[in-house]
Amino acid sequence: MPKNTSVTETKSQQELEQLRLILLGKNHHLITDTINEQSREIVSKVLTEALHARQTKDGSVHKILLPIIENSIENSVTHHSDRLISSLYPLMGSLVRKSVSAFLSEFIERTNKLIEHSFTIKGLKWRFKAWQAGVSFTQYVVSQTYNFRVEHVLLIHQKTGVLLKSVNLEQQSKSDVELISSMLTAINDFVGDSFEISKDGLKEQLQIVSTDNFNLLIKTGPNAILVAAVTGTPPQQVSEILQITLEDVHRLYMDEFAQFNGDNAPFENSENQLRDCLLTEEKTSKLSLNKKPWFAWLLITIVTVFLGVKVQNWYRLEELNKLIMIIDQQPGIVVQNIKVNTEKDITLDVMRDPDAIRIEEWFKAHQLPFKNLKLKERMYRSLSPEILVKRVDKIINRYPNLSQQWQGDRLSLSGNIDIVKLQQLTAQLADAGISSSQFDIKNLTLNNSDKFAQSTTINQQVFKDIVGKISTIQLDFEIGNNQITPMMQIELQTLAGQFSYLIKLAEQLNINVGLLLMGSSDNSGNRDANNKLSLMRAESTATALIQLGLNRAQMFVTGLGQIDIKDVKQTSRKVMFNVIYINNVPKN
Amino acid sequence: MIQKKICLLGASSVGKTSLVKQFVEGTFNEKYLTSIGVKVDKKRVSVEKQEVQLMLWDIEGYDRYNVFQGKYLRGASAYIIVVDQTRNASLLEGFEIHSLARKISNVPAILAVNKSDLQANCLFDDEQKNQCIALFDSQFNTSARTGNNVEQMFQAIAELTLKDK
Repeated sequence: MPKNTSVTETKSQQELEQLRLILLGKNHHLITDTINEQSREIVSKVLTEALHARQTKDGSVHKILLPIIENSIENSVTHHSDRLISSLYPLMGSLVRKSVSAFLSEFIERTNKLIEHSFTIKGLKWRFKAWQAGVSFTQYVVSQTYNFRVEHVLLIHQKTGVLLKSVNLEQQSKSDVELISSMLTAINDFVGDSFEISKDGLKEQLQIVSTDNFNLLIKTGPNAILVAAVTGTPPQQVSEILQITLEDVHRLYMDEFAQFNGDNAPFENSENQLRDCLLTEEKTSKLSLNKKPWFAWLLITIVTVFLGVKVQNWYRLEELNKLIMIIDQQPGIVVQNIKVNTEKDITLDVMRDPDAIRIEEWFKAHQLPFKNLKLKERMYRSLSPEILVKRVDKIINRYPNLSQQWQGDRLSLSGNIDIVKLQQLTAQLADAGISSSQFDIKNLTLNNSDKFAQSTTINQQVFKDIVGKISTIQLDFEIGNNQITPMMQIELQTLAGQFSYLIKLAEQLNINVGLLLMGSSDNSGNRDANNKLSLMRAESTATALIQLGLNRAQMFVTGLGQIDIKDVKQTSRKVMFNVIYINNVPKN
Repeated sequence: MIQKKICLLGASSVGKTSLVKQFVEGTFNEKYLTSIGVKVDKKRVSVEKQEVQLMLWDIEGYDRYNVFQGKYLRGASAYIIVVDQTRNASLLEGFEIHSLARKISNVPAILAVNKSDLQANCLFDDEQKNQCIALFDSQFNTSARTGNNVEQMFQAIAELTLKDK
């Protein structure tokens, strides 16, 4: 075929040349050259009008321009993408926003419908009815939701029954539209030939075919048939639009119909016209406006009540938690952990001083439920003033001749007590957390009514016993450190108590006493530094004892430096104590 | 895509439907559309790298009870007259249908002498046969049972329709 065409073209050229020779003679090139010289001006004058006229005539201009424009854009994208981006940039934002907004609207609409159709009583009823009717739920929803909906539109070649173009409302269609087109044409032919031709010479034509689920609206033209598959009851308006569309298609595709050879490609662009026929009308929104969203309200109420109960419950438990937490303010009670799961599931983890109020009593006093309490109680010794007072009360009550008085956090004792009992009392008070510096015994009268106490020998024995006890006390320090630790403090309290008592005893026995504090260090490091460190340890200890009420004048503080004894030299980081005592020799 | 309407015509029981069934995988509908006497199937064939979709109109058999359904020939690009080589009557009826069809349409026509797998029973001598065949654009001895020549026949008719354009 192309060969034939080129032969024909060559022949035409030759004939044209001959015609030129006849009309213009041998020098015809003079005329053509002149025209060629002015061709640009001539063409530019009529170019726009010519394009317009040709496009109006047969629409061929855009076919020529389309590949040129496409190639230009492709070229621009490949080589000058930055310029293209600059031009498109201002548009992109609004395009994206529009697209996202459209997507969201559709998504929300679909979700709403899904919820409405899936979970409401109406939805369940529709499912049942769809099942009863033997149609899919979607079809039933469409029939109930829309007055009508044009699902498919087919443009069929009237004579051959060949499908020229089809459009669907949904993206995909299960039907074989090509076969349907042929069969519809066959049916139409059958109808046309089966009935008498009307007076005006026209054959009977199918107008509408109805089935259980849809109506086929058929509009027949001289060259094409337009068919719309509609669910629901289509109004007259649909029929009118179909008719207008069919007329438009005939007008626009007159040439294509005339040259039709079975190829439907020239009708591809008729999609725009056919899409206009995809009409939809939802059932009146009046009903939906008036209808009460009972299910939604019920759901909201249930959720609100549920949340209300949950919040109230949480608030009550929180209050209970706070109430129980008050126990932490009780002297001698420390709450470690509290967990209120429910009113019947409470876990309480506390540390309690034996002299503090019992947990059960406290719960009863505060009218709290003790029965369901999971109590984890550990004992400890509290140093809070209230507990100390209670503890001292208990001790002092054992001594009927004594009375006590608190001046701030200082205990003042008065009354009569013998020396042995005083020693006992001091030890008990120290054990209870009251150091000798915290109580005052100057108002005490030491009596010697006790026959044992009257004995100087006994007193001397007690004196030596205390001296012995003091000399057994040693403080152990960390490497290179002279800090007094809390543990040391407790030992120093005991020591201070014992030494105070020793002074009282010494007075009776007419003995002068002094306390020796000897610091030492291990043999690591420099000897001079070790000497200094040992002295600093002894000084720190002396300072602590002064704070506990001892008199500096009765102390002798010295640093021994390293203790070079084989077995102890590596660990001898200590302060040791001893009592120096000298009998008073009456002056002559 | 190019689509061509092809009609299959012939006496009753000559095997028109079986030919279509043999040619098309998975028929649209086994039964004739009740009362209107036509069944449509489709099949794509390739002619010189060009796809052609044949819309095959299988028209109900012509006999004493059924008149010739000329209306369905309208718009056809070609038609096939199917005859049964074991029944002489079907040959005569086939030629009668052909002459009726020619009054309506002058599109290419093919003669399909079907049931080639069975013993022929032909009253015509070779000369008569050739005269008959000359009335058609092409002739095939086909067997819907074995599939013999079926594909070739439809391929030939597709080519004829394109040539005719």
